[in-house]
Amino acid sequence: MKQLEQIFRTAGVTGWLHAVDIDTGREVGLGADEPVVLASVFKVPLLVAFYRQAERGLIDPAERVTVSPEGRPGGGTGVSAMLDEVTASLRDLAYLTISVSDNASADTLLARVGLGEVNATLADLGLPHTWVEHSCADLFTAMREDAGAADMAELSQMTTDPAVLSRLRVLDPARTSRSTCRDMTRLLGMIWRDEAAGPASCAAVRRLMGLQVWPHRLASGFPYDDVAVSGKTGTLPTVRNEVGVIEYPDGGRYAIAVFTRSIGTAQNQPRADAAIGTAARVAVDHLRSRFMGVGTI
Amino acid sequence: MDLVRHLRYFVVIAEELHFGNAAARLGMAQPPLSQRVKRLEDELGVRLFDRTSRQVRLTGAGRLLLPEARELVARAERIRELMARTVRGDTASLRAAVPPDLGASVLAALIARFRTGNPDVRLIPTEMGTSDQVDALLGGELDLGVLRHPVAASGLGFGPVLVQHPGVLLREEDELATLATVHLADLAGRELVLPPRALEPGLHDETLAGCRRHGFVPAEVRHAVHGQFTIGLVLAGTAVALGQRADVPGVVWRPLVGSPLAWRISTAWRGEPSEHVAGFADLTTRVLRDDAGMSDEGAPPRTWVAPRPATGFLS
Repeated sequence: MKQLEQIFRTAGVTGWLHAVDIDTGREVGLGADEPVVLASVFKVPLLVAFYRQAERGLIDPAERVTVSPEGRPGGGTGVSAMLDEVTASLRDLAYLTISVSDNASADTLLARVGLGEVNATLADLGLPHTWVEHSCADLFTAMREDAGAADMAELSQMTTDPAVLSRLRVLDPARTSRSTCRDMTRLLGMIWRDEAAGPASCAAVRRLMGLQVWPHRLASGFPYDDVAVSGKTGTLPTVRNEVGVIEYPDGGRYAIAVFTRSIGTAQNQPRADAAIGTAARVAVDHLRSRFMGVGTI
Repeated sequence: MDLVRHLRYFVVIAEELHFGNAAARLGMAQPPLSQRVKRLEDELGVRLFDRTSRQVRLTGAGRLLLPEARELVARAERIRELMARTVRGDTASLRAAVPPDLGASVLAALIARFRTGNPDVRLIPTEMGTSDQVDALLGGELDLGVLRHPVAASGLGFGPVLVQHPGVLLREEDELATLATVHLADLAGRELVLPPRALEPGLHDETLAGCRRHGFVPAEVRHAVHGQFTIGLVLAGTAVALGQRADVPGVVWRPLVGSPLAWRISTAWRGEPSEHVAGFADLTTRVLRDDAGMSDEGAPPRTWVAPRPATGFLS
């Protein structure tokens, strides 16, 4: 009973979760319809919108673009962390956007696709609770404004202060990019069933999510060589998320979304990371078990 | 002169080293045999035998000729036999039987690959249950069978035994269809479709025993010979069936947790297999392994690695 709540409580977080069998629709959830902060998980709808535009001939994924070092949003990975001008194809920037959650690559794609188009795609896919509010650069600007920080370096030193955190708009689902766990698993289900876009586009999105490098959240709950884990994380102060798909060798495949907010304000939250994997595993085991029943566990 | 016939006389005399015995073996009188050897020696321009009053011995030339002559005589006989069979209409044909549930694509692959490798052999495939195959093999009406084990039949030879783990076929609306994998025990109380015991005695009994051991005691066992009848019973919601994955509207296939059941299958023939039969048996085993996903009995299950960037090479 309440096994999921127990896992989250022990890890010092509040958790929201939804897991669904992609082929049968059997599901399990905890706060699955409550609004949650997307953070970098917004890069999944961005990627879907990108490939849908490519299908309509509006974008050439192989087009090479140059990302200049000026004005790059913060972030410690990919192009965001590089010092010099980078020239790469749009689809390779999409790879960096997903595999290491590169913010500079994401904003380059978003500038091409357009925020309005991402939200139009979400509406078209029937995901009414999902909304992308800003680019990575705009998200960081909002954080600096709310915290009163001059630059990213200063902001980093302020985000363990509970008083500062309480002022951040980007931690309020009503004022930042948002979704629900159920909307996210629906989006993943559509990607895995080739419904979110054409089959080739969906396959491209699945490939990139399978190339995500982080092993500490969803993947940590499935430490088996023959189980495939594809996902996209999202991280902000006190926010630890991941949405993804778990595929078993017997053909069973499960879309899962786990969103957490930690009670503590430390930047490093290894127990919250691990709880995402543990909770996901419990949910998937439940979906695979012989005992029938829908709802909380 | 008829060189092949003369060489045949030579071979027989070389084997007997006695003109009288050789003539008797050939069913002719000794003088004409001696005459023919003389004619062969004239034709080839060598002496083949040293004849004294007491014994006959091969000369050096004779020893050299013997293996060559044997080869030529044997080949000539093969030509005659082959042509005679052509006239009778039974040239290189191969009568093979497979179980009715083998699967269309596997059967197609089997036939196509045999044709590619043996364009001159006519393959006659039939579908047949294990019991009928045993009777036909022993009765000489079948050259090669593909049958289910265990089967007790003396006089039959078997190829390597391959194993297949059946899953369960359920009606789409069945509550168990919402699960990715099904425990055998969860089928408890449902009716089960199996091939008739008379047709597949080994498989029938082992499957039922396996089901009972894992907690599935069927409310009733229905018997179906053909796939369509089986699917019909499943679609009607009255029973579940065991077998390999099938794409039929209204029916879902689910693997059984832990692969509790194992169906064993192998090729079979009577006595010493001919070249064609042995070749087709090898091919069948390969096709069952590659195209039907069966594994060698006792082999550990194949493992598959889903690569992850964080645990890959050099990361």
